[in-house]
Amino acid sequence: MQELKVLSGTSFGGYMNKEEIEQGFKLEPDVLVCQGTSSDTGPGYVATAVALHGPEATADSLSFLLARAREKEIPFIISVGGPSGTDERVTSTLRLVGERLKKMKIKLRVAVISGQISKEYLKSKLREGAVTKRIVEHPRLPDVLSAEDVDRSATIVSQMGPEPVMKALDLDVDGVIAGRSLDSGLHMAMPMRKGFDKGLAAHMAKTIECGGVCTEMGEGLVFGTLRKDHFLVRPVNPANRCTVTSVAAHSFYERSDIAEERNPGGLLNITDAKFEQYDERTVRVSGARWIPQKYTVKLEGVARVGFRTIAIAGVRDPILIRVIDEFLEEIKKRTRKVFADISDADYQLLLHVYGKNGVMRESEPHEGALSHELCVLVEVVAKTQELANAIVQFVRNLMNHMNYRGRTTTAANVAWPFSPLHIPFGEVYVYNIWHTLELDDPCEPFRQEVLDLP
Amino acid sequence: MKLATLATVLRSKNASPFVTTCDIFLKDQGVYEKVKKSGVINRELISKLYKIPPGQVLTIQYLDVVRGIKISFLKNVPAGDPGCTDTFGAQQHAPLLNIDIP
Repeated sequence: MQELKVLSGTSFGGYMNKEEIEQGFKLEPDVLVCQGTSSDTGPGYVATAVALHGPEATADSLSFLLARAREKEIPFIISVGGPSGTDERVTSTLRLVGERLKKMKIKLRVAVISGQISKEYLKSKLREGAVTKRIVEHPRLPDVLSAEDVDRSATIVSQMGPEPVMKALDLDVDGVIAGRSLDSGLHMAMPMRKGFDKGLAAHMAKTIECGGVCTEMGEGLVFGTLRKDHFLVRPVNPANRCTVTSVAAHSFYERSDIAEERNPGGLLNITDAKFEQYDERTVRVSGARWIPQKYTVKLEGVARVGFRTIAIAGVRDPILIRVIDEFLEEIKKRTRKVFADISDADYQLLLHVYGKNGVMRESEPHEGALSHELCVLVEVVAKTQELANAIVQFVRNLMNHMNYRGRTTTAANVAWPFSPLHIPFGEVYVYNIWHTLELDDPCEPFRQEVLDLP
Repeated sequence: MKLATLATVLRSKNASPFVTTCDIFLKDQGVYEKVKKSGVINRELISKLYKIPPGQVLTIQYLDVVRGIKISFLKNVPAGDPGCTDTFGAQQHAPLLNIDIP
């Protein structure tokens, strides 16, 4: 139980540096861990099973990684099917990887753990009285989940903790493949199995789970060495380094609270964490604490709210730019009038004005002089694709020809790229479930099976 | 002095689709102490800069080991909801750049 060496990267896309992977394996890790799912890219990927990065390139990278791990007999724990990590995405990823492994004449036996939650399972948990709670106190989320919330959801995934992975590691497999999972949970599984301090394991997991983000160059693979009362972290690339700042800063990343972070079954408290420069490229970290809590997992569920159509308008006439606010107000007014027989609940017309406040909307502090050029992104989200199209087609036509104060450009008011001019975008989903679920058994929701690949 | 000239990192990101979190890492210990002591970065300032109700500002925290300040607030429009124009929430930092530190 002296030390545990972890080679870590992300398994998102076909961007892996093969040379760096070889360098990483030369450091003789005890385990390879790569996370490849995320909710960062929003709800639009979950029910639609859209891949974040090119599936073929991703499969190239993954199969290379897994083949090398197999050859060197290094166990691996990898989450795939990014970004959503649904069953559909995991299955298609494994299919593409399998094709490549066959060509490479590599055979793998893997435990595959699903990160997708069935609606029936969740509703039965609710009927049993399982406790749910919204993760963020945002008014858009119900405080607790109801059966109706689950019904409204199209697809639900959950961030499994380390326990299902630990269970899978007990099987006679070369490695573990997971769908949606808690990134740091993947990294905690092996340390916990080997009896390392849970707070340290969680802090190291948190530090290395994004790969090179904790390094000065901000990219690449990292190597973590977990010991009894501290851990070391350094990048694989000899030209890169970890510094106290780069490592400590990552403890800040994407968290809303610096002191305590909620994890399945506990809080990771890093208030007293110490970061020291161990050598030129390595940082030594100690002092994290684990505070046990009731065991919960995060649920992420998406519900469809409509269909989107867009049109992109370039505004170059300075006279129109000067009166853009009143122009767009009039557009909205006339649209409401023309579509008066359609309920307000059935459509939303959103006009984003880039060059003014497209990025920050009502929070934009800048006032005064506008750019010489604006972009008005016309967006309609409506009950059906046909309705979204129809409203955008109306708005687009009106924007083109409606009169405004001082107008001279009577041929057309704006510049549209693309023909056809309006772009049907497809289904729109939002996160309607962003809740914790209390569990007695951390493994219960997450189906496992053993697969032989290819 | 403008905060933009005093910081090595000044960024925003999502902490869940419902919260925007901003990190400011100051360039040296002296500057960090000055900013921390000045008390300029507070709930009222963030509320005013982002034009959000003070109740929407969640936390303002200081992490001495990285000379860092973390500011978190609830989003008006959750990431991915219709009307969201910044899926990653990574371009919401601009109002912080011009904060005046006396």
